[in-house]
Amino acid sequence: MPTSAPFSVSDEQRALRSAVADLMARRSAEAQVRALTATDTGFDPAVWRELAAMGLTGLLIGEEYGGAGAGPVEMGIAMEEMGAALLVSPFLSTAVLVPSLLVEAGDAAECAAVLPRIAAGDLIASVAFAEDGSARLPSTIATSAGAIGDAWHVTGYKHFVLDGQSANLFYVLAGTDAGPAVFAVDPGAPGMDVTPLTTLDPTRKQCRLQFVDTPARLVGRLGAGVEVFSAALDRSAVALLSEQAGGARRAVEMATDYAKTRYQFGRAIGSFQAVKHMCADMLLEAESAVSAARFVAGSFAGQAPSRIADLALAQAYCSDAFVFVAATNIQVHGGIGFTWEHPAHLYLRRARSDAQLLGSPSWHRERYLRQIEATRSDA
Amino acid sequence: MTDDELRDEVRGWLAANWNPGIDRASWAQIVFDAGWAVPSWEPEWYGRGLSDAQSRLAAAEFATAGAPGCGHDRANLFACTLHDAGTDEQKRRLIPPSIRGESKWCLLYSEPGAGSDLAGLRTRAERDGDEWVINGQKVWTSFAKTADYGMLVARTDWDVPKHQGISFFMLPMRQPGVEIRPIHQITGESEFNEVFIEDARVPAENLVGELNAGWSVLQTALGYERRFMGDLARTAKDNKRPRAEKANLLVELAREAARLDDPYIRQQIARVDGLATVNRWNTQRSKAAADRVEAATLMALGKIAMSRILHETARVETEIVGAEAMLAGPENPIGDGVTFRTMNAYFTSIGGGTDQIQRNIIGERVLGLPKEPEPYRNTPFRDLPH
Repeated sequence: MPTSAPFSVSDEQRALRSAVADLMARRSAEAQVRALTATDTGFDPAVWRELAAMGLTGLLIGEEYGGAGAGPVEMGIAMEEMGAALLVSPFLSTAVLVPSLLVEAGDAAECAAVLPRIAAGDLIASVAFAEDGSARLPSTIATSAGAIGDAWHVTGYKHFVLDGQSANLFYVLAGTDAGPAVFAVDPGAPGMDVTPLTTLDPTRKQCRLQFVDTPARLVGRLGAGVEVFSAALDRSAVALLSEQAGGARRAVEMATDYAKTRYQFGRAIGSFQAVKHMCADMLLEAESAVSAARFVAGSFAGQAPSRIADLALAQAYCSDAFVFVAATNIQVHGGIGFTWEHPAHLYLRRARSDAQLLGSPSWHRERYLRQIEATRSDA
Repeated sequence: MTDDELRDEVRGWLAANWNPGIDRASWAQIVFDAGWAVPSWEPEWYGRGLSDAQSRLAAAEFATAGAPGCGHDRANLFACTLHDAGTDEQKRRLIPPSIRGESKWCLLYSEPGAGSDLAGLRTRAERDGDEWVINGQKVWTSFAKTADYGMLVARTDWDVPKHQGISFFMLPMRQPGVEIRPIHQITGESEFNEVFIEDARVPAENLVGELNAGWSVLQTALGYERRFMGDLARTAKDNKRPRAEKANLLVELAREAARLDDPYIRQQIARVDGLATVNRWNTQRSKAAADRVEAATLMALGKIAMSRILHETARVETEIVGAEAMLAGPENPIGDGVTFRTMNAYFTSIGGGTDQIQRNIIGERVLGLPKEPEPYRNTPFRDLPH
């Protein structure tokens, strides 16, 4: 991955953005988003084939496994456009979380078996790490794995699992006598139960997994599970920032377009300072989120020493920014924004869900502070 | 000429001419004669005909050598305004002393009744023979006491709409009708002045631009001012690079106040660090942007972002130090500093146009939202309610 100055954009990256934007315009217009939210799986095989054909499902996957071998900057570009269009798809789980996890796990056989199928668009997969109470890694892991000979079995549960209804493979964090580890589990395995969760955000499906002596395959090293998952979540959070930034930008466009065309008291409502100033504040938050997402993507691409502190700060900021912008968009729309038929609430739902998905803003702020305290004591 | 050739030329010239012991006036004359005072201006107007970018390079070489006198084509608003809007006679008479540093200037724009709505100014200029007689009050003037000329906007026609009856003058400041009083700011400092003008006189040849066309001259002057402020902001930021560590000032303050274990305080500190850091990223992005609209958008947002950073930082400092915030004065440095920063944050959120005006500008010029209707657009100034 060549490192370049932060915020510089290559011609290839510009082309990628316009190709993804194009695809979103064709495949993720409001009617399509609404149709997929009404399904249990939120998965359209035809759209998935197009994502794969464009190289997007394999964007983070190395060329040796049939992927594009691109990095966080390119993924950020794709996620901005997907976030703007509220794409309903198991993309974040299959194309971001799983490849990030497998890179970190360093299990060559697993990579060779799974990553080419993801790059080709032939496999939907997800990760299962959270338990009750938090969407981050649990401080003590209730799910456990035990081996009889070489055969591992998992018992316990996982919560807030993305795309559980469409996934054909799960990577599960479980404790063992030799420390936490990553286990691959098939959804049809004995003792395995997948329960859909009713989610605030209908564009992103979640479920709860239950395991009773469910056969599982060890991936990577025993004892490395927490580090592997933690690093994978960091890589994935970088992509989530861009989704938030893209969604926030679209919400600003919706609000300003409406403020220009909605007339009350004989004037476009955007000519009233009360509305105009809301739009200006929304723009500040959305553009700041874009800067944060792009900076952190560059920071990870270049392996900057400050990247974890940067990410923590940016994740807290982008979460708050997207929620603020999506919420204010509803207020700018007034009555029509309070109706189910108007898409404004879909952005607020996505924003509120994104703001918890990989840890809450306050969790990330505390993490940021610990990072800078650690840097200080190292110095 | 390439940039490197230019740098070599400036360095060579400085090596041959500059020495730190030289007296100021002689040096200013040498710089002036060589055209380095205003390198981007035409040779017939005291310059060297360089591009804007090369003029900056020349000024940077002077700064590196510690030699004053270069860069009046950016920093001298009086000379720049005359260069663009003055007559040949005015340029010959007024510019050379100014760019040799012999005459100083100040700005006479805002009035107690004309802040955000500058075009509502009521200082009057009335013709009397070869002179104009000025009456009125100006405010927020820096360096009024040392100025030889005030760049003055005054009303010369009350029977036309407000923008159409304003004229621009170079008012001689050292005369009995001009009285200067410092303004005491809420911080206790005094950086600005009020200027009371009573029957002060301007020679008719100091009218800049056409009579009643002062608003457009003012736009020229404001354009130079914004450009110069942008330069200052950029260099200030570059100089203060180690501020990255200074983001942890709040952490240090909390540690000293034994509040660093308080989860509420920790959240507040991280939130403020987020605002400041993201603003830095916005600035970096605007500098890197190939797209001018993107860069301009981020620059326009920078002002309201900075206001929020300053107010929020002061608010969190107040939370951290608690009761100390009631105290002030040199014997209470912690409370005094917090109070100063709390009060001084308004310098940014009001000065140079309020944040509310800035939000109008963002709404209208960046987002393309319609302007507020102007019911008095075609009303003679005399008939406006006030």
